[in-house]
Amino acid sequence: MIAFDEVSLSFGRRVLFSNVTLNLRGGKVIGVTGANGAGKSTFLKLAGKVIRPDAGEVRLPDGKTIAALSPEMKVYDTLTARENLSFFAKLRGKSIDLLKLGERVGLDLETFGSVRAENLSTGMRQRLKFAILLSVDADIWLLDEPTANLDDDGREKIFHEVCGAKADKIILLATNDKAEVALCDEIIQLPL
Amino acid sequence: MRLSNFLFEQVAAILRKDFLIGLRRRATFAAMMMFALTAVASLSLSMTGGFVEPKFLAALLWVVIFFAASAGIAGTFDDEAQAGTLPTLKLYAQAQAILFGKMCYVFLSLTMLTLFILPIFLILFNVAVESFLLLSLTILLGLIGIAAAGTLTAAITTSATVKGGLFPILLFPITLPIFLPAITLTELSFTGGAFETSSLIVMAAFDAILILASSILYDYL
Repeated sequence: MIAFDEVSLSFGRRVLFSNVTLNLRGGKVIGVTGANGAGKSTFLKLAGKVIRPDAGEVRLPDGKTIAALSPEMKVYDTLTARENLSFFAKLRGKSIDLLKLGERVGLDLETFGSVRAENLSTGMRQRLKFAILLSVDADIWLLDEPTANLDDDGREKIFHEVCGAKADKIILLATNDKAEVALCDEIIQLPL
Repeated sequence: MRLSNFLFEQVAAILRKDFLIGLRRRATFAAMMMFALTAVASLSLSMTGGFVEPKFLAALLWVVIFFAASAGIAGTFDDEAQAGTLPTLKLYAQAQAILFGKMCYVFLSLTMLTLFILPIFLILFNVAVESFLLLSLTILLGLIGIAAAGTLTAAITTSATVKGGLFPILLFPITLPIFLPAITLTELSFTGGAFETSSLIVMAAFDAILILASSILYDYL
């Protein structure tokens, strides 16, 4: 469970969160929705302790690992798709079958494995980022618009993985995409 | 034991990744090598025929290594920050693994730089080394110190707006206690003077302090 305990955060005069107290439990996909500027991405960063609140506390379960997918998190452009995947899997000490992992997200590593990330299309890079997320096998997933720039096949594959993984994970999904919202079991609507 | 093995694996993975990227981009290596080559070549040309004191030569060698290293080390963390990969790395790797992975990479880069520039320096300035063992030990300890201090300084200056100018200004006072005995020992290796074990111990001790301090301070960055 991720616990927000009287969390407040402002950027200048803009108050994003004021005394927010809530518990985010696992076993379901929790959607975070709201207009542009409402603080969806910031909410995820608070949940992952990437940023600290001005007041209050965010508590994560002990020993749980986090994986995230967001537009701000980049892969190494000068490394190939296979090298990127292999590197991040090694950081978490995971020994994985890269080809099978690529198949799960629709990234054919026989074809694209030796291509540098800088030469992958935006959609393929998004698939690579999702494959990295799968490779580290984390307990908490923070997904910020995970299917942005993906075609229907890519979206289907990611939806399938998210639904299949939710039973034993805490999954937060920041989105305004209707198909992604439909995937969520619970919605946190952030006011502007 | 298992935890330390895991940390070691992360350090090795980060070192390998940085080395691969460094080889493919080449810009950092090229900047370091070209700075060192230009400095050594122009200084040797300007002193052609004249006698140069061994002490001055020793100082010159370390000045060249320091500024060439500055040109390469400054971007250790900043390159990742600019590319947007630093948040990803910080999420998936332990902070200590990032620090020591980067530190090992910087040490490796400095070793390559020194292996490149030292023979050129010795030939162009016509230096006859009396003790290669002392010179090797001095350079090894000196590079470890620069790598430790440089990695931490690079991490500190990542968020600064004038990092290019700030980096050598911060690095110099931290590494000064390494340079002073390094210059003396390098001079002795050129002249064949009495072996100063105490200076080597001072360098090794300061290296250990720098590594320990970097490890403690990095968690607060």
